[in-house]
Amino acid sequence: MQALYRITVLALLSIAIGTLASLAAIGFVELVAWLNDVLLVAPRARIVWETRPLLVMAATILAPTLGGLVVGLMLSRLISQGRGFTPPDAILAVQTRTPMPSFRDGMVSSLAAALSLGAGASVGQYGPMAYLGAQIGALGARLNLGIAHLQGVAIGCGVAAAISTAFNAPIAGLVFAHEVILRHYSLRAFAPTTVAAATGYVFANVVFEREPLFTVAFEGVKHSYEFVFFALEGILCAFIAIAFMRLILACQNLSDRMSLPFAFRPMLAGLAVGLVALELPEVMGIGYEALRFATIEGAFAGYELALLVAAKIVLTALCLGFGFPGGVFSPSLLIGILFGALFGMIVAQFAPFHTSGIVVYAICGMMAVTSPVIGAPLTTIIVVFELTRSYPLTIAAMVSVVFANLVAFRLFGRSIFDVQLLKRGCDLARGRDGAILSHTCLTDYMVTDYPRCDRKDSLGSLRARLREQSWDTLFVTDAAGQYLGTITARHILEQESECTAGEACVRSPVIFDETTSIRAAMDSLVDFLGEAAPVISAQDGRLIGVAPEGVVISAYLDISRELRREENEAA
Amino acid sequence: MKRPEALPALVLGLLLIPASGPAAEDETLTVVSWGGVYEESQRIAYFDPFEEETGIEVEVVEYDGNFEGLRRELENGDTEWDVIDLVSANARRGCSEGLLRPIDPDILPPAPDGTPAREDFIEGALLRCAVVQLVFSTVVAYDERAFPGEKPTTIEDLFDTQRFPGKRAFRKMPGAILEWALLSYGVPRSQLYDLLSTRRGMDLAFRRLQEIREDIVWWQDPGEPARLLAEGEVAMASGFNGRFFEERTQGSPISIIWDNQILDYDAWAIPANSDQPELAEQFIAFATQPERMAEQVRHIPYGPSRHSAMRRLGLDERTLAPITSQLPTAEHHLGTAIWEDSEWYARTEAFRQRLFDNWLAEGDPFTDSKGGS
Repeated sequence: MQALYRITVLALLSIAIGTLASLAAIGFVELVAWLNDVLLVAPRARIVWETRPLLVMAATILAPTLGGLVVGLMLSRLISQGRGFTPPDAILAVQTRTPMPSFRDGMVSSLAAALSLGAGASVGQYGPMAYLGAQIGALGARLNLGIAHLQGVAIGCGVAAAISTAFNAPIAGLVFAHEVILRHYSLRAFAPTTVAAATGYVFANVVFEREPLFTVAFEGVKHSYEFVFFALEGILCAFIAIAFMRLILACQNLSDRMSLPFAFRPMLAGLAVGLVALELPEVMGIGYEALRFATIEGAFAGYELALLVAAKIVLTALCLGFGFPGGVFSPSLLIGILFGALFGMIVAQFAPFHTSGIVVYAICGMMAVTSPVIGAPLTTIIVVFELTRSYPLTIAAMVSVVFANLVAFRLFGRSIFDVQLLKRGCDLARGRDGAILSHTCLTDYMVTDYPRCDRKDSLGSLRARLREQSWDTLFVTDAAGQYLGTITARHILEQESECTAGEACVRSPVIFDETTSIRAAMDSLVDFLGEAAPVISAQDGRLIGVAPEGVVISAYLDISRELRREENEAA
Repeated sequence: MKRPEALPALVLGLLLIPASGPAAEDETLTVVSWGGVYEESQRIAYFDPFEEETGIEVEVVEYDGNFEGLRRELENGDTEWDVIDLVSANARRGCSEGLLRPIDPDILPPAPDGTPAREDFIEGALLRCAVVQLVFSTVVAYDERAFPGEKPTTIEDLFDTQRFPGKRAFRKMPGAILEWALLSYGVPRSQLYDLLSTRRGMDLAFRRLQEIREDIVWWQDPGEPARLLAEGEVAMASGFNGRFFEERTQGSPISIIWDNQILDYDAWAIPANSDQPELAEQFIAFATQPERMAEQVRHIPYGPSRHSAMRRLGLDERTLAPITSQLPTAEHHLGTAIWEDSEWYARTEAFRQRLFDNWLAEGDPFTDSKGGS
C-alpha cells in the first residue's frame, strides 16, 4: 500500500509540476518576445522603424541601459539576498538539502531575468527558465505528502519540464536534470523527472504547437579524417569556454570591488551592450538570427565572426558579472556556433583537403563551448540530436564535446556553476555525500550530556568523579558557562590534587561552533587525540556540547547509508 | 456620384442635372481587379450574375496590384473605384493609412445552413477594412520542354542554373523571390521573416538573386508568366497558381513546383471615400455567398475563404480530378507551404522596395548605405 501511495503521489506531482513548469517556460519566452518587440530589440521590430534611424539608435542604447537600471532596482530592493537567482541556487538546494530562496524572491528574480532579456542584455534564457522550473518544483515539495527527501526529485521535475519545453527536447531535459541538478541516477528520481519532461514536451508540441528551435540540413560527414578536426575544435573550444568563464568570474570580482551600489551596476553593463549593438546588433539578447546565419556559408566574413565571438564573450561576462540575472547557456551556444563557423571556414580555406561544409563545424563548436560551461556533456550531445534530428551531426558533436570537457575540466573545473558554488563554500567535487556533509551541522549530532566541571573544582574532587563516570575527560567552564579547557585523566594524575581545574586544564586544539559542518569536523578530527572536541557558541563562547569522534563517524555513516538507499530506491 | 439618400437631395439632384441620365451613371459599379483568366472567372461567378440580379453594370478596371498604384489612385480623395480586389498586405496597409473604408462583417451573408458569416469564414479572413475571399499561392512553375531529363522539384533548383539552365521570369517586385532566395540557404520557414528582417538576411537573399541575375526576365502583368512559359521564352517562372493551372488546361506543358509555395489571402475592399459605399457593400455581400465563391473556384483553382464554399466543390470538368486537389490549400501541397506574413509585408513595403531598387540599379541592395539593422 505504501508503495502504491508513493507511486500515485509521485506520478500526479510530476505531472502537476511538469504542467506548471512548462506553462511558466512558455510564458517566459512569450514575455521576452513581447518585450523584444516593444523595446525594438527584435530585428523584426527594428526594421519597421528603419526609416527613422535615430529612433532605432536611441532604442538600442536606452533599452538595455534603462532595462539594467530597473533590473538593478528590482533585485536590490525586492529580493532579500539582493541578487538574481540562477541554476547554481537550485543545485545548491538539491545537493545540500537546504531550502531554496523563497518563492516570492524567486518570482521577482524570474521577472527581472525576463526583463533583462527583453531589454536586450547579453544573457541567456535557459538558466532563468530552469530556475523557474526548479522554483515550481520546490513549491510542490513543500506539500506535506509524507515522502522523504522529495525536494530534490521535485526540483528535478521542474527543471526537466522547463528545459524540455524550452528546447522541445524531452530527453535533453531529463538528462539535464540528472547531470546538472540531481547528479545521481536512481529510478526514484528518474521516473518522475521523465514524466515531467514528457509533460513539458506535450505542452510545447501538442498543445501550443511550438516550432523546433533549430533545424539544419546536413548530409553527413564526408571524410573520416575530419573527426581529427572535430577533436581539435573541441580542444580549442575548451579554451574559448575557459576564457568566457574566467571573464565572468573576473567581472563578478570587479563588480564586488566597485563602490557603486549594486542597483546601478547592471545599468553600466547595459550601456556597454547598447553601444556595441550600434555596430553589432547581433550581441543583443539571445541572437536567434545570428545563431541561424552562422550555419550558412558566406553569411559572415571571417573577421565578423572573430569580432562577434570576442564582443559576445566580453559583453556577456560584463552583463552577468555586473548583476543582470540570466543564464550562460544561450550565450555559450552563440559564441560556440560563431567560433565553430570560423574554425570551419579556416579549415576549409587552409587545409589541403575537402571538408563537409561549415554546418558540422558550427554545430560542433556550439556544443563544445556550451558543454564545459554548464558541465553537461551528455545533455549537450542529446540536445544536438533532438534539435537537429541528425545522427551524423550528433556523432561529430560528441567528439568535440568530450575533448572540450576533458581539457576544461583539467584547467578550470567541472562547470561555471560548480566554480561559483565553490566560491560560496560548497565543493561539489566531493560528491553528493560531501555536499550534504558540508551542509549538515555538527550541532545536530553533538552530545549534550557530557561531564563538566567548574574552574574552581579541585583535582582531588574530580579524581573521585572520574572513577564513577565512563568518560576519561572533563570539560571545564567558568561560572558563565564559557569553555576554558579540557581536563583528562592524565592531567589529574600528573598534577597535585589541590590544584584547581582552571589551572590544570588545557584548551583543546580542536574547537567547533554552531556553524561547523560534519565535513569540517571530520577534517579537523584527523589529527585530534582525545575523547571529544568541545562545541562552543560563536557568540558568547559558552560550551554548548561536545563532539566525540564516534558521533562524527556515525553521522557520516547515516548520511551515506541514506544516500545509497535513495539511489537504489524505485519510487 | 453619391447616391441620394433623402428626398430633398434627390429633388435637388434631379433639378441640377437634367436629362443627362444620372440614373445610368449611378447604376455602374467599378471593380478593380487583376485581368486575364482570373478576371474571366470573376466575370462568370460574380460580375454577370450581379448585373443580372440588380441591373447594375459592373465595370472592371485592371491594375497590377502594387500598393503604390493603389495609393496614387486613392490618395487625392477623388476616385471612380468602388470595390478593390487586393492582397492582404495591401489591405492592412491601406487600412492603417486611411485609404480604405472599414467593413462591418455583419453585412456578409450567412452560410446556407445558417452558420453566421463570422464562423463560416476561415480564421483571419475578416480584416478591419477588407473581407478575404480566397487563398492564392505564388509558386514556381517550369516548362516541361526545357527539362526533358531531370525535373526541378525544390526551391533550391530555381537558383541552380547549372543543373537547370534557362531564363527565369520573376515578378518585378521585392516579394516572394526574397523569401525563396533566403530559403534556398536552408533556413527554417518558421524563422523566415525574422531572418529577412536583418541586414544580413536581406544581403544573403539579394546575393542569391545576383548569382542568377543574367537569367532573370521581369514580369508585371500576372498573366505574363504563364504566357512566357507557354511560348518557351523562359524555363521557369514565378506566378499565381491559378494562372499556371489555366494555361496547362489550354494544353501548355507547364508543371508547378509546390515546394515552398507562398500562400496569401486575397480580399475585397472599399476605398475610404467611395462614392457609393452601400452599393460596394452590396456587391461584396453578393460575391461572398458560398455558391458564388464555389462557382469562381470551378474556373480558377484558388481556395475559397468560406468552409461552406469549400464543401460545394466537386470534380473539375476539364481534368475530372477533384477541384480541391488542385487548390494551394490541398493537404498534399501544404507540407512546405509558407503563409505570407502580410503584417510584415505591410510594414516593410518601403524598405524592401528601396533595397530592390538599389539592387536593380547598382547590383547591391545597400549601396545607399542606409540599410536596416
